[in-house]
Amino acid sequence: MKISVRTIAFLFMLSSVPSLTFSQDWDNNKRLSGWLPLQAVPSVTLYSAGTHAFGFEWKVTPLSYSFGINKHVSPWSSFIVIPTYRFAGSVELNVAAQLYTSAIASTHTGVSATLMGYVPLIERGEHLTLNLGLALHRVGGETVVFKAAGISTLFGFVHLNVKQSSHPAIWITSLEFRFF
Amino acid sequence: MQRQLLYFLLTTTILTTIILATPGCSSIAGRFLARSIEQIGDPIAPVSPKLHRPIRPDTELAITWVGHATVLIQISDKVFITDPMFTNTVGMVMRRRSERGLDPSSITKLDYTLISHIHLDHYSYGSIDMLPQDGMLLVPFGALPYTPDFDHREIREMKPWDVVEEEGVRITAVPVQHFSGRYGFDIPWARDRGYTGYVIEYRGKTVFFGGDTGYHPELFKEIGRRFDVDVALLPIAPIEPRDFMAHNHIDPAEALIILEDLDAKVMMPMHHRTFVQGFDPTLTFAVEQLQRIAKEKNVADRVLVLDIGEQRVLLNGTDVRH
Repeated sequence: MKISVRTIAFLFMLSSVPSLTFSQDWDNNKRLSGWLPLQAVPSVTLYSAGTHAFGFEWKVTPLSYSFGINKHVSPWSSFIVIPTYRFAGSVELNVAAQLYTSAIASTHTGVSATLMGYVPLIERGEHLTLNLGLALHRVGGETVVFKAAGISTLFGFVHLNVKQSSHPAIWITSLEFRFF
Repeated sequence: MQRQLLYFLLTTTILTTIILATPGCSSIAGRFLARSIEQIGDPIAPVSPKLHRPIRPDTELAITWVGHATVLIQISDKVFITDPMFTNTVGMVMRRRSERGLDPSSITKLDYTLISHIHLDHYSYGSIDMLPQDGMLLVPFGALPYTPDFDHREIREMKPWDVVEEEGVRITAVPVQHFSGRYGFDIPWARDRGYTGYVIEYRGKTVFFGGDTGYHPELFKEIGRRFDVDVALLPIAPIEPRDFMAHNHIDPAEALIILEDLDAKVMMPMHHRTFVQGFDPTLTFAVEQLQRIAKEKNVADRVLVLDIGEQRVLLNGTDVRH
């Protein structure tokens, strides 16, 4: 299964879609200026396929559907995802870019797209959420499908996710810091 | 190979430390956090005996202080609760210093749940899930994006002066002075909305709930002009550091000024003694100050100081402690 750079670029283009989160008259400039710098905070990831490659990851969420938010607001969010939307129960498509400190198949970079579901476990997910999903990772010209599972805690700030692929046998462990 | 694993572990540790220590970059926030962590092992003050049936079969007005800003209000056959907080911690770190004044299971009926703002110590998802959800949930304007899909028969967002009126109950959202945002990084756009006070009117009784507020010379006089308040539920802490707190938190002296601004018959202090807040030297610092100033101003008979878990019943004009 292949995923092209163009597909990833298309997902990023969704950033031009205004956020669907709020029907309220939020100040979009303030929202963007609050959201943008926090996206620079990297998550850390470990790519293990016989050998380990440590890397940094930056992730955004072009589209999220919350099934745990109240019915008076739109369940859809784009990029700016208030944590309550996510951890109260949601499914999201997120895309990420990775920068590895050692080469994997002669490259130091990778991209991925993940369809992740969040199931609230404790305090409507604010204290603990179960994460389950599927991911596509493209590294060194090869695209691999992964199963993903993990937990989120601390109001959705901290996510520990593990992704596993059988063919080829690869494990990816990530500690993610999510702001929106 | 092992070096890469080591990088992962080291960087994870460093990044986690930086992110978790970020509040410490603000010396005040860092000191709050440190104070909360220091007191994690301290004993929790017991509440004994607890009322097992706080909802009374026959009452004009009964008020039970559950702790912090959580007050169970019964006016005749209608039951209201403000900012329900029944969990053991706020924000997974700030631990309760006193037991909750009621067991949530003792609250068997709830017509209205009132949320003053979206801060973690006032809008507790876990606490709301411990209570009956067959009534109405009222939240301030700006709080809907922070409201999970609770099972209440209706969830209503209230702008200042918005009114909910049904079956003789009239609840008005009234302006107060505070700030909002739930997760810190949302403060830049959420701070100017998402907080309110409420006035409850039913069967000739009027209760004002101040939520969390600083003092504003006009706001409370305007509320006083519009309503004939019987009981004002007013926060009195945290007091210190005053420069930092003054805009968002009234101190006991200001609470007594608001008592006059509202021209309320009595006030009941809340938002103290339950969690470590600010740098007040003791948990009882604020209420002791309130009692001293009330005595000096000769209004002590208009200040009802309840213990956590205590109920006051106004039956045919008679004030009874429980």
